[in-house]
Amino acid sequence: MENTDNILEIKHLTKVYQDETDTGADPILADLNLKVGRKEFLSVLGPSGCGKTTMLRCIAGFETYNGEILVDGVSAAKPGTDRIMVFQDFNQIFPWQTVEKNIQYPLRLQGIKDKEQLQAVSDEYLKKVNLDGVQKKYPHQLSGGMKQRVAIARALAQKPKIILMDEPFAALDAMTRNRLQVELLNISSQEDCTFIFITHNIQEAIVLGDRIIVMSKKGEIKVDEKNGLKKPITPATPGYGEMWQRFHDALEV
Amino acid sequence: MNKRREEFSDLIVKIVFVAVVLLIWESVARANLFGSRSRLIFPTIGEIGRAFVTNLTIGYAGSSFLIYIANSLKLLIIGLLIGVVLAFVFSGLSMVSRYFYSIYNLVVSVFDLLPGVALLPVVIIIFGVTPGVIVFLVVHAVIWPMSRSVLDGFMAVPRIYVEAGLNMGLSRGRLLFGVYIPAAMSYILSGLKVGWARAWRGLLSAEMIFGLANSLGIGLYINQMRTNLKNAEMYATLIVIVLIGVVVQYGIFAPIEKCTVKKWGMSK
Amino acid sequence: MKKFRKKCVAAVVMCCALLSMGLTGCAGDKNQTAGQPGNGKEAEVNIAYQYGLAYAPLIIAKEQGLIEKAYEDATGQKVNVTWNQMSSGSDINTAFVSGSINVGFMGVAPAITGVANDVGYKIFTNLSGQEHALMTNSEDLNTLSDLVGSDSQIALVNIGSIQHIILGMALDHAGYDAHSLDSNIVVMKHPDGMTALESGSVPCHLSTNPYIYKEMENSQLHEIEGISDVWSVDSSFIVGIASEDLEQSDPELYSAVCEAIEEAINYINDNPEEAAEITCEFNGNTKEDEIKYLQKGNYSVDTKGIFSLADFMSSNGFIDKKFESYKDLVFDNVTGD
Repeated sequence: MENTDNILEIKHLTKVYQDETDTGADPILADLNLKVGRKEFLSVLGPSGCGKTTMLRCIAGFETYNGEILVDGVSAAKPGTDRIMVFQDFNQIFPWQTVEKNIQYPLRLQGIKDKEQLQAVSDEYLKKVNLDGVQKKYPHQLSGGMKQRVAIARALAQKPKIILMDEPFAALDAMTRNRLQVELLNISSQEDCTFIFITHNIQEAIVLGDRIIVMSKKGEIKVDEKNGLKKPITPATPGYGEMWQRFHDALEV
Repeated sequence: MNKRREEFSDLIVKIVFVAVVLLIWESVARANLFGSRSRLIFPTIGEIGRAFVTNLTIGYAGSSFLIYIANSLKLLIIGLLIGVVLAFVFSGLSMVSRYFYSIYNLVVSVFDLLPGVALLPVVIIIFGVTPGVIVFLVVHAVIWPMSRSVLDGFMAVPRIYVEAGLNMGLSRGRLLFGVYIPAAMSYILSGLKVGWARAWRGLLSAEMIFGLANSLGIGLYINQMRTNLKNAEMYATLIVIVLIGVVVQYGIFAPIEKCTVKKWGMSK
Repeated sequence: MKKFRKKCVAAVVMCCALLSMGLTGCAGDKNQTAGQPGNGKEAEVNIAYQYGLAYAPLIIAKEQGLIEKAYEDATGQKVNVTWNQMSSGSDINTAFVSGSINVGFMGVAPAITGVANDVGYKIFTNLSGQEHALMTNSEDLNTLSDLVGSDSQIALVNIGSIQHIILGMALDHAGYDAHSLDSNIVVMKHPDGMTALESGSVPCHLSTNPYIYKEMENSQLHEIEGISDVWSVDSSFIVGIASEDLEQSDPELYSAVCEAIEEAINYINDNPEEAAEITCEFNGNTKEDEIKYLQKGNYSVDTKGIFSLADFMSSNGFIDKKFESYKDLVFDNVTGD
């Protein structure tokens, strides 16, 4: 209770996948403890299989687990609109809805029925992700980068407390990836929202994160440090190289 | 441009094919190859055309063929609706309960193998000799292939859509309509197509085997024409059966596909 | 354009292939039926018959090889006889149209329908007459008037069958339209009809030998009056038909078939016990029952009532053609009316 401005608190999170054939399987996450501050942009680095995606899925409420996850002090065991997930897979927006309907649909579920209001919200968020003029298109008519932008717009429009991003740019080409990083940085500075961003990419973690953690096996947090570099961060920013090397070494072990 | 030309030439070829078939048919019919039997084996196109009109105007035993068609379609639609709704209800329940799924999966696999006509004697014991028998057979014809497709379709729904739906706060029930049904639409449509084709065949065979004179139907009509050796009328009836199939395929299924799976880029 | 021409050719070739397949199918059948011995081949006759007591003489003819004997006595040559059991007169008519049979036995109504539609056959003999009755399990039904306008179902062997026409005649006789019970008909084979009647799932069954006797023994069931007035056991029920082709081009074989049927009928009338011994197994009855049932039937080569039946059928819309005389229905050797 020393820091009251934590939006998310993970206590003793342990997760064992049930479908392991051998009994007494090793947990994928063992006694993970983490606090995330309000409006913080947390980058999570870690090798494959360290449990970072599992942690994100537990936070989203897609998994059962031992331990406790609290959002604003309230247990969050089931999925909810206060924590919206953005997946790596381009095909996360519904192919049977147009781009704007994809954004409006969850809002309608939240009880917004006014058509003009829905239209205004979807237009606003599409503009935020630099996607104007594709409102009436269907997802199969869009490129991968455009689909991820729609997914981010859909997540933002629901005004969640936390956006959970599971390597959303990992499958994009380098150019698009860099462009989307910049856009996300701008958006995150404007939105009243916490981001937890999982990535393999050290550069991405440094450019985006206010705080960066490195996870190793079973969700052990090896490094947890504030990003003191001045934004916007490029490889030319003083201190970038050292920081990059530190995370690189932490990941190597 | 090139594609349109291709389509156009395909159309011409089809027309040529039909025209040649009709021409050969007509010359065989006029050649009188089988003596007095010729009129029964190969009625001329004119005779079949006249029979077509006679079917619609005079019909048989005081009822126009249209009444027979209407009655068959009525039973078919009732059966289809019941079958489709039940298939959705049971498949939906299967998504909620794993036990229900395994039982229903077994039931579908077993009953899918049973031709409706083979069930006829059992069904008559249950329903007596009523149009309910025909409806039952239509339901039987449609529910299993439909359930198989819907179950397969539901199982094949990417988990990411389900999780995105849950994340938006969709309840279990709304998940069915909001995610499972649209995501499985191509499976559902192919299930509907198979179900319709089986139901249509099942209906006709049931009507032919089990002639209920108080429930006029297309199958019964064919039988009556056959009994009375009105073969031109019989051929005309077959043409109507094909036409109804074409109307359903191109008038109902094609537009539905066009404004769903084709539009959504989901067609297989 | 070249491609297009190719496609057209393909379409035409497809048509020809399809049609030639169809034609050879029919023509092949035709060759089969032309049973002349001319080109050194053995003479052959393809016979279609049905199941039941009314067809008993055929079992005798088949088991005792009467056609083969009669033909050999007349010509000294062998004949190849094929017996095909079918399930209705309509089936036999269809088989006749396809050309795969040249002799058949069926109810007199489908036979008249066939003659009226120029299938290419005529009646060459009577086979049997049987008792018919409309049986019911409902105490409220006693006359045809009780049925007309009601929704009580009548199990009956087939639309357009002799039973269907008899029902029409009885209705006509009682002053109703011949088709006034058409919508009450449920098509069922006799055994199914009897089961349905006894179990109560159908209120009426137009029944014949032997089911009629089994049903009459059942105290729950009784007869609705009216059928026997118009169609008695003496009236023609099952007749034999032969192709005009057979009669004209192979008169010896035709006569052999006629003789064999007559002999079989005489055998049943003269030696019912021995006949029953042969037929009981085929009809699934005990020998005692079979003797009883055979003696209830009327086996004769002379037709009775077929011209008036044909007349009734044409004046009540069952057939389109109007027959001028009895001889339009039968070959010259047939006697009766």
